[in-house]
Amino acid sequence: MLNGNAYFCITSADFMRLLTYFTTAFLLTLTHQTHAQGLAPGILDGFMKGQRKASLAILASQETYSTYYVNTTETKNPNLGTVTTQALTVVGTYGLGYDLDLIISAPYIRTQASAGYFPKQEGLQDVSGTLRWEAFDYKLGKTRLSWLFAAGYSMPMQEYVSDALVRLGHGSRNLDGRTMLHYKAGPFFLTGQYGYIRRGQVTLDHVVNNYDPSQLNPNSGMKVNVPDVTELIIRTGIVTTRASVDVWGQQQTPRTEGTNIGPGIPFPTNGVGFTRVGTTAWLRLFGKVGITATASTTLSGRNTGKSTRINGGLVLGL
Amino acid sequence: MKTILTPLLLSSLLIGLTGCKEPTIDEGIQPFSVPTSVDADGGNWRTIVLKSATDVTVPQPLPITSDVYKTELSAIKNGLLASTPEQNTAVNYWTVGGVLRWNQIARQLVAKYNVPPGYDYATGQVSPADVANPYAGAPYAARIYALLSIAQYDALVVAWRAKYQYNRPSLERQGVVARVPILDVPSYPSEDAAIAEASCQMLAYLFPNEVNWLKAKATEHKQSRLWAGASVPSDIKAGEDIAGTLTPKLIERARNDRFAASTDPANTWQTALVKAPYNQKWKSLELPERPPILPLAGNVKTWYDSTAIFRALPVAPPATTSAEFQQALSEVRDLSDTRTREQWRIANYWENGPNTYLLSGLWNFLAEDLIRQAGQNELRTARTYALLNRAMQDATTATWRAQYTYFVPRPAQLDPAIKTATTMLNTPSYVADRATVSTAAATVLAYLFPDDATRLNAQAAEASLSGLYSGTQYRFDNQAGAAWGSLIGQLAVTGAKADGAR
Repeated sequence: MLNGNAYFCITSADFMRLLTYFTTAFLLTLTHQTHAQGLAPGILDGFMKGQRKASLAILASQETYSTYYVNTTETKNPNLGTVTTQALTVVGTYGLGYDLDLIISAPYIRTQASAGYFPKQEGLQDVSGTLRWEAFDYKLGKTRLSWLFAAGYSMPMQEYVSDALVRLGHGSRNLDGRTMLHYKAGPFFLTGQYGYIRRGQVTLDHVVNNYDPSQLNPNSGMKVNVPDVTELIIRTGIVTTRASVDVWGQQQTPRTEGTNIGPGIPFPTNGVGFTRVGTTAWLRLFGKVGITATASTTLSGRNTGKSTRINGGLVLGL
Repeated sequence: MKTILTPLLLSSLLIGLTGCKEPTIDEGIQPFSVPTSVDADGGNWRTIVLKSATDVTVPQPLPITSDVYKTELSAIKNGLLASTPEQNTAVNYWTVGGVLRWNQIARQLVAKYNVPPGYDYATGQVSPADVANPYAGAPYAARIYALLSIAQYDALVVAWRAKYQYNRPSLERQGVVARVPILDVPSYPSEDAAIAEASCQMLAYLFPNEVNWLKAKATEHKQSRLWAGASVPSDIKAGEDIAGTLTPKLIERARNDRFAASTDPANTWQTALVKAPYNQKWKSLELPERPPILPLAGNVKTWYDSTAIFRALPVAPPATTSAEFQQALSEVRDLSDTRTREQWRIANYWENGPNTYLLSGLWNFLAEDLIRQAGQNELRTARTYALLNRAMQDATTATWRAQYTYFVPRPAQLDPAIKTATTMLNTPSYVADRATVSTAAATVLAYLFPDDATRLNAQAAEASLSGLYSGTQYRFDNQAGAAWGSLIGQLAVTGAKADGAR
């Protein structure tokens, strides 16, 4: 799991990172998915599943954009038109213990542009697995505050096209670490989470052939680094045993400068970030069967589409 | 207490995870090449722009018994004892090979300046980007590599002639323990200084905005050879002077090669399009439409026999109304509909489109490994690149000549359902430059590196097909291009057989 980046800094943080890698690898891993085309933060919330309880969700989503950000500047491209991305995602959650959940998700994605010559891309994207651990649970009168941690890993299920404007995903293998504070008072809840997503290198289809001022010698082969991102999510709403509704904001920020969308620039090296807001609702229909729906929109971004997304699905308790 | 520690530890792990910066692109580490031959007869090799090596006079050096020389030599010896880390970095960097390094620098600059004017959403117009270059395109890149390689090669032939004429012994033969492996040739004049100055002056002409940066590179290159213990200052000075006499002659040739007119400021291409001997005419597929890339680049002066090259101009492809053409078109459509990941990879590998060092740059990159494996010295490396790059520039010129003779539409113009794996280039389709250039390149390299001929020819075949996999070319574009490229490559091989090098 250690990737080549480890050679590029020798700091005390290295030891910590090693330890993290090891811990994660040992736990057999798995992540909250983090790609642009995946689900909203819906997957990872502050609610624990409970020991030996499981649920399965099947979600369909559609995301569209006709404006995108080159760096942070909005642009449109008549040679692209509107890009529509549809995804079908299966998410399984299982309570390994009263304080430990395993969450696995796998999306199938189709994305296409309405104009120009970019081909449609379709296929399985990244499988991800996440362990969520409720490390601490405080009772404050009648309310509860819990402190959670999650570690995850995600990887492409196939070698899809990642170096194109119309693409399925980043193509990288990712490690994801995050921590959450989850506060619940009666039906009201508030969750804040902060995460770091370490993205591994991507092998391009071609030798790196673009200009990079920091590149002393152009014999860098075909591997490029994908900028890591940090993620901040705030989410609040009301939840009962029959239904829930919430609003959320999600901000991803590239941690390194990266590149910007441009001719000749490999897409995986772009620094991708965004601020999105959305709302999610869940309704229990009968027994353990529920439905869920989410709508979200992009407020600002960097090297990504200014997209709006809706998704809906079926949630089955098992 | 313990329960609180655990989350705290995990938090610090999380923070630890964020503690490392990564560069956007990793750089490889290159080994030092150890040349296998000194090519003592190199001074007799046929020059390209110079009539012969005697065109540039190199003055006789002071004998090594003179006080001036002794002072120079002892300064170098003392310098070796007091090296700084920066000096070591520079020494190691340039020891990889002066010709190779300047070729890499050129590739970087081509990628930096190969920026065509772009579509500006704010104004809705095709407008120049910050560094937009009206000459950006394959002919621009191919010419730069050719001019650079020729400057290096001619300068080195002159240097080699003087080396064996005056036979000033190498520093190592005088007891200097150099910091890196040094080719065992006479030290006067310094081949590195000749390369550094010739490359710097040639590239400064081609990239006027980069003069200061290039001069700094050249200075570092020359000094690194003093720090390494390879040359004394009088060796360096003589090497510089060779370039000083040579480069103006090459720049004179470049000024008159008709490349400057290739942007076609008078828009004569529109008349040529109307008169084109083909039943359907190309049009720009970009939104909004824009003029083609360097429509007159087919008139650029060639390095090899222009009569032989243009006599081989392929005949027009089958008319769009013919069954043959329809079959070729539906092949492109079928491939576009069913493109495999491997076909996508091939299309992408050979694309090297706008804002990159382009296809000719890729072949320069690929030649690097061959040169290193063969252990070629500076002179022979320069010859390899001069042969390769002249052939590629001529192949590019030939491609442009055919494209702007026939103005054959791209497949997607006739069938808009065709989607492309790579950028749709704003040039006519016939012939495919990936086929012409790659076949010419592989023909030259296969002659120079016969052990790799099979692999090189396979690469050329893949490159030729790549346009079809991209969805941007018909099969007949590739076939005609490959045949023509092979002919141009053979012209270069014929030249190589007679240039005095074995």
